[in-house]
Amino acid sequence: MPRAGSFSAAPEPMSIGEVAAPPFAILPDPSRVFATRARRFATLAENGNNLAPYLLFLSALCDAQASILSDLPSIVLPPPEEREQSSRHGLPQLGRAAMAEDPVALTTFDALLKAIDSSDMPAATQEAIMRLRKADKAARGALLDNALAEEVDPEKIADTVLAAAALQVHMTRMAAGLDVNTLAKVSNSACPACGGAPVSSAVVGREGMVNTRFCTCALCATEWHVVRVICLNCENERGLVFNSIEGGNPNVKAETCPKCLSYTKILYQNKDNSLDPIADDVGSLALDLLLTSEGKSRFSLNPFLIGY
Amino acid sequence: MNVQLTRRGFLRGAGGALAGTAIAAMGFGGAEEAFAATARAFKLEAATETRNTCPYCSVSCGMLIYSRGDVSKGEQADIFHVEGDADNPVNRGTLCPKGSGVLDMIKSKQRVTEPLYRKPGSDQWETVSWDFAMERIARLMKDDRDANFIERNADGTTVNRWLSTGFLAGCATSNETGWLTWKSVRGLGLIQVDNQARI
Repeated sequence: MPRAGSFSAAPEPMSIGEVAAPPFAILPDPSRVFATRARRFATLAENGNNLAPYLLFLSALCDAQASILSDLPSIVLPPPEEREQSSRHGLPQLGRAAMAEDPVALTTFDALLKAIDSSDMPAATQEAIMRLRKADKAARGALLDNALAEEVDPEKIADTVLAAAALQVHMTRMAAGLDVNTLAKVSNSACPACGGAPVSSAVVGREGMVNTRFCTCALCATEWHVVRVICLNCENERGLVFNSIEGGNPNVKAETCPKCLSYTKILYQNKDNSLDPIADDVGSLALDLLLTSEGKSRFSLNPFLIGY
Repeated sequence: MNVQLTRRGFLRGAGGALAGTAIAAMGFGGAEEAFAATARAFKLEAATETRNTCPYCSVSCGMLIYSRGDVSKGEQADIFHVEGDADNPVNRGTLCPKGSGVLDMIKSKQRVTEPLYRKPGSDQWETVSWDFAMERIARLMKDDRDANFIERNADGTTVNRWLSTGFLAGCATSNETGWLTWKSVRGLGLIQVDNQARI
């Protein structure tokens, strides 16, 4: 018997480099998600491009999202048996139909509308906030419904952006309450927690999962693992092109599929840990402009980029 | 009118026209237009990430090969980085020192990219065509097999073996290639086959 701590001559496997054993899903931490995102939007605005006013606005919106977290009523999750049954059948654990009727979602919407300091914001935003504050419950509920169904009335885009921002807070809190070990794959491009579309994907540099790719849900911020070099829309693995802006940030690319002509942004967090799935998606709008002008279409969903 | 906020460019109506954007709706239409005007001057850069198998040993680690240049637009792809494929169940993102340095092998000026032939008695390598190389190898194999093939051993038992030639096959090949290698080589009676299927 070798002494404890002594070297043994017995052969043992030795790992070389970083062995990646990524978990299937990572649940969000609401106390960090919005505050971090607000800071990232502010940093991106400092780059001084013409989009800066919008980035600063979104930074303020994320600050408002972060500020209401502590005063919201407790969330009510579906019973564990029901959630596990959903996962066993390849469904997301949080049903969207039930969520639209959740009174906490509406309370969150009200709290967010109250928390936004719109004094420096454009008239269009101020009007939307005033309109929504005065609107009855049914009207606000209908907006939440639309945002959950990923539908938008072209006459009510501003209202939908604010409703989606409220849902981000509510759904991130819901997702944070789930048991990560019971989550199961729905599809490459659907969130295992709420069934939503990804906003972007990121190659992470975190310990134990170095260089693996995670998609982030546009609404509930849950991250789920998807293998790299695969089109999130059509699952094609051949000839994918990774587009970036010449002379721009090389760590933000669009994974473009030559088969279905769609793209999804991919953020190399393993190179730059400050990249945020939602903020840097907005911050790389130039990629969307150039790719859509080439006939490519955006696959992912970002409420702050409705219309692209 | 509700338009499906699909994952393929939401808010585009039936005609594909943009019905409006979040940026404009929140009151930042001016900033959006100014940004779009400057962004038109930007250029897209293309890179690819390709899965492949390490060519060195029979562990056959998965590799992710990064190259610049959009082949779909007729550009020449240029490999600039190779790393372990974190999704590959064999190596889970790791590579040995030799595999990590594979870029130097790919870019090596000494790398043999066409068949070379050194005539018997010559001290020079000369470039030959693939047809010449294949025919020459087939000729020599046939001659050697005709001369040294053993049909029966000393006891008169049928053995059909060919001991005077060996065959070195690849390690990073697919199951199908492995099956074809086995079929063709064993069919000739070769015993000494190395697939590097070990370690």
